[in-house]
Amino acid sequence: MLGAYLPILLLVVIAICFGLGAMVFSALVGPKKPSALKLAPYECGCEPVGSARERFSVKFYLIAMMFILFDIEAVFMYPWSILFKKLGMFGLVEMGVFIAILLVGYIYVWKKGALEWE
Amino acid sequence: MPAEMLLTVLIFLPLAGCLLLVPVWNRPHLSRPLALGVAFLELALAGWLYAAAPPAAPGGTPLPGFFLWADHPWIGRFGIRYTLGLDGLSLAMVLLTAFITAVAMVVSWRAITERVTLHYFLILFMETGIMGVFLSLDLFLFYLFWEVMLIPMFLLIGIWGHGRRIYSAVKFFLYTLAGSLLMLLAIIGLYLIHGAASGVDTFALPALVHTPIAPATALWLFAAFLLAFAIKVPVFPLHTWLPDAHTDAPTAGSVILAALLLKTGAYGLIRIGIPVFPEAARTLTPLLYALGVIGIVYGSWVAFAQTDMKRLVAYSSVGHMGFVVLGIAAWTPVSVSGSVIQMVNHGITTGALFALVGILDERAHTREIAAFGGLWGQVPLYAFFFFLFSLASLGLPGLNNFVGEFLVLTGVFRASPTAACLAFTGIVVTLVYMLRLMQEVLFVTERSPMPLADLTPREGAVLAVLALVAITLGVYPAPLLDLVREPVALLTAATGGTP
Amino acid sequence: METFAIPAINVAAIMPETILSVIAMALLLLNVFVKSEQKAYLGYLSLIGIVVTFVSVVTGWNAPASMQTAFNGSVLQDNFALFFKGIFLVSSFLTILITDQYLQREECNHGEIYPLILLATAGMMLMASGTDLMTIFLGLEVLSVSLYVLAGFNRENLKSNEAGLKYFLLGAFSTGFLLYGMALTYGATGSTKIAAIATFIAQNGYVTGNPMLVVGMLLMGVGFSFKVAAAPFHMWTPDVYEGAPTPITAFMSAGPKAAGFAGFLRVFLFAVPALKADWSALLWILAVLTMSVGNIIALSQDNIKRMLAYSSIAHAGYALVGFAAGNAEGTAGILFYMLTYAFMNIGAFAIIVLVGKKGEANSNVSDYAGFASKHPVLAVVMAIFLFSLAGMPPTAGFIGKFYLFSAAIKSGYVWLAIIGVLNSAVSVYYYLRVMVFMYMKAPEEEFDWLKVTPPIVVSILLSLAGVLIPGVIPGYLLSLAQRAISM
Repeated sequence: MLGAYLPILLLVVIAICFGLGAMVFSALVGPKKPSALKLAPYECGCEPVGSARERFSVKFYLIAMMFILFDIEAVFMYPWSILFKKLGMFGLVEMGVFIAILLVGYIYVWKKGALEWE
Repeated sequence: MPAEMLLTVLIFLPLAGCLLLVPVWNRPHLSRPLALGVAFLELALAGWLYAAAPPAAPGGTPLPGFFLWADHPWIGRFGIRYTLGLDGLSLAMVLLTAFITAVAMVVSWRAITERVTLHYFLILFMETGIMGVFLSLDLFLFYLFWEVMLIPMFLLIGIWGHGRRIYSAVKFFLYTLAGSLLMLLAIIGLYLIHGAASGVDTFALPALVHTPIAPATALWLFAAFLLAFAIKVPVFPLHTWLPDAHTDAPTAGSVILAALLLKTGAYGLIRIGIPVFPEAARTLTPLLYALGVIGIVYGSWVAFAQTDMKRLVAYSSVGHMGFVVLGIAAWTPVSVSGSVIQMVNHGITTGALFALVGILDERAHTREIAAFGGLWGQVPLYAFFFFLFSLASLGLPGLNNFVGEFLVLTGVFRASPTAACLAFTGIVVTLVYMLRLMQEVLFVTERSPMPLADLTPREGAVLAVLALVAITLGVYPAPLLDLVREPVALLTAATGGTP
Repeated sequence: METFAIPAINVAAIMPETILSVIAMALLLLNVFVKSEQKAYLGYLSLIGIVVTFVSVVTGWNAPASMQTAFNGSVLQDNFALFFKGIFLVSSFLTILITDQYLQREECNHGEIYPLILLATAGMMLMASGTDLMTIFLGLEVLSVSLYVLAGFNRENLKSNEAGLKYFLLGAFSTGFLLYGMALTYGATGSTKIAAIATFIAQNGYVTGNPMLVVGMLLMGVGFSFKVAAAPFHMWTPDVYEGAPTPITAFMSAGPKAAGFAGFLRVFLFAVPALKADWSALLWILAVLTMSVGNIIALSQDNIKRMLAYSSIAHAGYALVGFAAGNAEGTAGILFYMLTYAFMNIGAFAIIVLVGKKGEANSNVSDYAGFASKHPVLAVVMAIFLFSLAGMPPTAGFIGKFYLFSAAIKSGYVWLAIIGVLNSAVSVYYYLRVMVFMYMKAPEEEFDWLKVTPPIVVSILLSLAGVLIPGVIPGYLLSLAQRAISM
């Protein structure tokens, strides 16, 4: 019974090997010219040291929120696509309604200019 | 017009008059006579009802003693009906209401200069409420009119009053409302008990009279009714709103308050309180006696100490209404008739006294007794009426108040000689302070006289009519007595006589 | 290939919600294409949408049982739900009528307010017809999220911002309670369906060995108490009501409060009637606290919106009296009361919108000094609404209170009724205070900025009709409420 999980185990092992391999390989063959900037920990492009009370542009939040919205949409479509044949016409219509609602939101934010960076 | 419509017209004619005032809102020279016309029409209708009564054949109404009857379903869900009935007792009160309303309008003819139409609008609106209270035989309907009376009086005192008018208006409103809300609960309780006992949901007074109630419950329910009515009458510890409201109210407000609103409390006690809860009333009879006697004695003593004329008359009201309570407490045909007569007479006498004080206030802008003196020589016509109504108020035989007080005391004497004797002391004090008032205001000549004008023809006419009524009722009270005899006999007999 | 068991979808049962949501989305789209000065048309369109929805609500009345239920029994559009839907539609209709003028005055003319109100209404409707804890929760969230935005809609105004944020934080907090309660109830009974929970309790009893259910019920009670603003869970109300845009305050005090009661009643009356003896006692305390706290604190308020906020707490308390009574009269009384309360309260707020100035200025009780001599008609109308709120006959407020208190007496809660009427007497004082200022003080202002526009007039006239007609001839509405709860 546990045999059924063998592919997953294999996937995990390969994933770990791939990650480790990349690190080890680059450490072995890559050129090393360290500088202060290069050695600093990397975090999303922000200054790692400084005041925590920093202000971000509201645009970041807008983008993040919209990302989550459309991300969820995509997630919902996975199980739907697997069951698509069983759901039949009903499933198609339902997904059509779902996409239509999201589309309304999309057009709204677009026209409101939330997608413009400037 | 079918006869039963008459009662509806009687109640809603003033309200229709209110609507007539709307188009002439900003033209007081039109709205004033219009309002007065409506009031006179109402008076004529009431008078015609009296002259034509009883228009219904015996047995023409479901209850004995009633001349007119109207009954329609209203809110079926609760068994609430639109039931009106007119018997001698109601008719006496209806006549008084129509009369005093017209008087109050004439008295305030010149005194009100701002927002004139609103003033008359409110008086007419209030007349509808008062008429409704005196004619309703469905407790829900009764309560509705009972509350409707409050709002116009609140506005009358608050807008056109003097001194601490807002304080007095709010105090009046809250006092009476608190009492009546508890009465509402008692009404609901009574309704539920009756519904459970008989299976019929109804607020109709004739049915509720026969509700079997456990004595303890009845006592609580009666206490709630008594509280609401006692605040309105007002009875001794609950009277404190009255001097303030009277003193600060405009003349028309004082007249209506004293002559009509106080009567609704006593009327409620006679019509509803005791007939529905005879046993509980019997248990509380000593309390009622005590409240009546305290009202008479306390009211008179405190009136004695007043320096403001209006306040003095207000406290004399507490005393006079004490007689009404006393008569109700004894609950014999004679004493209750006395109470009803006293209600009518107090309305006329005290209404007139308030009008007189108002007239003086309009001219001198003060009501301090000490500010006046020697009016007898200065304004003889005014002084004559002042003299006459003061005598009436102290109960001089031959004038109206004597009849009621005499009947009440006669009735009470049999039931409780102690109470009657104590009430006599109150009469003596009344005599003293009224004589002092007349003495100070009319006859003391040492004070520097104010330049005062005597009565205008309008004022003279209205006082003359009041005086005529006062003298007629004093000399020949038989018509009034005949009117109330039957209903009072029926009411007292239904509860098994003396409680 | 095996066929997937798709539950029967009965669109008729969710027709009102569907119509309203579609219209809301259409308006949202339209909003970005119309110019700023044309935003009022969105309001008119949303009014049409509400009317259409109302027609579908009316046609659903007394529908056969098979037409009422949908989604495997998670939605039940019975008469109870339909009555509440009527209340919600009335509140949003009256609110939208007074919205445009407010937005013009505050110069914050964003058309999103209309779709948001419609979506909030759709959420409330879902709450009323939810027979599954999840459906109720879903409706509640749709409602709440829209309201958080609406409360902070006047974004140039600091107080509105405060209101939005406070409402969001405390609303989320209370939602947590509610959801936790639902989770525990599910854990204890094995179902989120109200009918299944009721069956479980009827079969197994509840206290012995099942404290989880009791705690779950309690937490749900707390959650709903937050939503209807019952003391001691009322703390958010004054700040939110004061800060939110005036039309939205009117809306919040009428619609969502009724929605809270719809959910409350659905869960407690239909899921756990067996526990009535226990929760009735709790509701007794809740009702007394709510009435007393609301009325006593309202006495000392100077801002009229804040005063009406506390008064709305008190009114929730009166409704809880009917709930505590636990009989048919009490429940029908709540329905009747919530409907008439929507009329009288939104009516009063319409006047407040008229009297107010930009930046929510002029909203103190003392700013109404002499209002009656400058605008006698509006003052009379305001007086009628205030007297109805105070429960004076012949207004709908009186009939409503009469109904609730007689239900309490009938159930034997005489003291509750006595406390109720004493509270009524206290409340009269602060309503009278407005009257005193309107009628008995000399005017300090000319009130010349006051602009009476046709939509507000319509709103006021409708409210007036809703206060006076049921006040004089309540028979029809009473029997509707009665039929709404007999299932």
